[in-house]
Amino acid sequence: MGHSRYLGLLYLAPYIIGLLVFTALPFLASLYLSFTDYGLMNAPAWVGADNYLHLFTRDRTFMRSLSVTLIYVATTVPLKLAFALFIAAILNYKLSFINFFRTAYYVPSILGGSVAIAVLWRYIFAEAGLVNMALFAVGLDPVNWLGDPDLALFTITLLRVWQFGSAMVIFLAALQSIDKSLYEAAAIDGAGKATTFIFVTLPLITPVIFFNLVMQMVQAFQEFNGPYIIFNNGGPLKAAYLLPLYIYEEAFKKFEMGYASAIAWVLFVIIMVLTVVAFVTSRKWVYYAGDKRS
Amino acid sequence: MTKHSRLATALVASTAFLALASAASAADLRMSWWGGDSRHVATQEALKVCGAKYGHTVAAEFTGFQGHLEKLTAQIAGGTEADIVQVNWPWLPLFSKKGDGFADISQLKGFDLSQFDPAQLQSATIDGKLNGVPVSTTGRVFLFNKDVFDKAGLPLPKTWDELIADAKVFKEKLGPDYYPFEAIILNALLIVQLVTEQATGKSMVDPEKMVINWTPEELRKGIEFYQNLVATGAIRPWKVAAGEGKVELFEMKAWADGKIAGSYEWDSTYSKYADPLKGQKLVPAEPLVIADAKTPGLYRKPSMVFSISKHSKNPEAAAQILNCLLNEPEGVSILKLSRGIPTSKAAYEALKASGDIKGPVAEANAIVMATDGPAVTPFDEDPRVRDVFQSTLESVAYEQISAADAAVEMIDQWNDILSRL
Repeated sequence: MGHSRYLGLLYLAPYIIGLLVFTALPFLASLYLSFTDYGLMNAPAWVGADNYLHLFTRDRTFMRSLSVTLIYVATTVPLKLAFALFIAAILNYKLSFINFFRTAYYVPSILGGSVAIAVLWRYIFAEAGLVNMALFAVGLDPVNWLGDPDLALFTITLLRVWQFGSAMVIFLAALQSIDKSLYEAAAIDGAGKATTFIFVTLPLITPVIFFNLVMQMVQAFQEFNGPYIIFNNGGPLKAAYLLPLYIYEEAFKKFEMGYASAIAWVLFVIIMVLTVVAFVTSRKWVYYAGDKRS
Repeated sequence: MTKHSRLATALVASTAFLALASAASAADLRMSWWGGDSRHVATQEALKVCGAKYGHTVAAEFTGFQGHLEKLTAQIAGGTEADIVQVNWPWLPLFSKKGDGFADISQLKGFDLSQFDPAQLQSATIDGKLNGVPVSTTGRVFLFNKDVFDKAGLPLPKTWDELIADAKVFKEKLGPDYYPFEAIILNALLIVQLVTEQATGKSMVDPEKMVINWTPEELRKGIEFYQNLVATGAIRPWKVAAGEGKVELFEMKAWADGKIAGSYEWDSTYSKYADPLKGQKLVPAEPLVIADAKTPGLYRKPSMVFSISKHSKNPEAAAQILNCLLNEPEGVSILKLSRGIPTSKAAYEALKASGDIKGPVAEANAIVMATDGPAVTPFDEDPRVRDVFQSTLESVAYEQISAADAAVEMIDQWNDILSRL
């Protein structure tokens, strides 16, 4: 018994060592560094809470970046979830070539995180890009998507929403697992399609909505590729200057590693608090099979 | 002294000599650099030849420019950098604030400093210690698409007033979307810097006192000059140019089509801007000047330096390799112009004699070398200084703040940054 326990630990050792060395240690180190003045070339000097005080009292760029990030997450996540659910609901019907469509709609997610797609997005929304050509074709004036501070964030929001495939696949699996007899019962009771969707389908897939909500929120807070590749310096007037971009520039362009660590920890706390809020509130709106409330 | 003791002394002496000789002739070195394929191939070949000449082996470590700073920083922080490192000139103060970040090359015997202009060496000297040897000198030159100016019936401009007058002719003769020049982001701030230096004769940063040399009033005029270029149609508004996203000028269709007919670029990047202009001639030109300019204000600096690690176990051997690469025919004939027009007099003469220094790149570099301007300091390119310059100028371009407020804000923030550097 004892021997097999050690053997198990031995098998787990590569993972545990990797976790400790490459995740836990840097995680804790960054917490320590966030309380220091550390420029890589000098030894970290303890400055207490100075980095955090500076962030919240004197750093206008941080406040700008934080508000841009919160707006981005608040718009991207609901839009993406709604769009993914909408497409999943359509793909749940028995249509001709349905497997082809399911694959086709998933493809953007496979490509979505890549640099190439962000480059493509830049050309699509450029002044002489595909979108403006389409607008021109229908007699509308071109729009300065990438140069207008009011529209810059919207373009990267669309990029994120377009990568709805993974959320869609999970929604589709949830929709397919719903017992058909419930729909039959609803139909006998005279429920229409919209009523059935709102009162039967949605409550039954709330665990999956919750899962997608948390995952998409965390991913949206970490968005980097889109704004980095599409815009110079976070977009016009830093309109698309998301926090991960700010962390990167502070750490690797200005060598303010201590300060960058402080920003990273603020971002971490925000994600953690919102995730906890989501979990706490989920008790009121998420229904699991076998739940006494259902 | 007895026969035996004489023999013993001779043996000890010869052993010591052999030990010293082998230490100098059989060092295992490393060299790191960034660059493109042609530079990688040439440098590896030169290292083989120079290594063989002095009996050293030199391992090559090379990457592209992207990410090189991060890699080098991590290596230097850990004391594991290569014996010979290629360092971007503005990075020197980041790695060697007090001059002790790299070996002092002036103290190493194997390197011939007489091939370099003292002013060039001074640009890589920190607190009296020569932290690197400038490999090549680069500077900003004006590049104009001559065919477009010909089409508009105009000679190439020599002053800013002429350029502004040309803008009107461009619109009338060629179309409303034709511009004689382009300046956003880095170019916008370099133009503000250029005209402010032309007007004042003063460099941006005083490296001795670590303060900005300009008054808010002087900088305000520079910013207003930029605004005037936009207002007169000499350059595209920032907002319009930003509508292209993160794209270099030479990648833009408007540049390839000749709708933008001029820019202010590094001399060594001439080919990048000339290549897309199929059938059109791109001409390097001397700096445009304002009326009553006190200096042409040319922005000239070492493009990069070769430094020797302070952790190197064989700095003398590294100095020998460095000398071979930069001053000796074996290295120079292989490296040629892979790092721009060489700063070393011996290398320059050798490449000129062999016919390797010719064409528009050489013309552009000749302009850079022949024109004056206040000394550029690495602090001009400090990322924090640049960030303030760029973001504040962008706010002016988007009409968020006035030129006067921007000037005060920039100088306050710059001085704050400089005081911490």
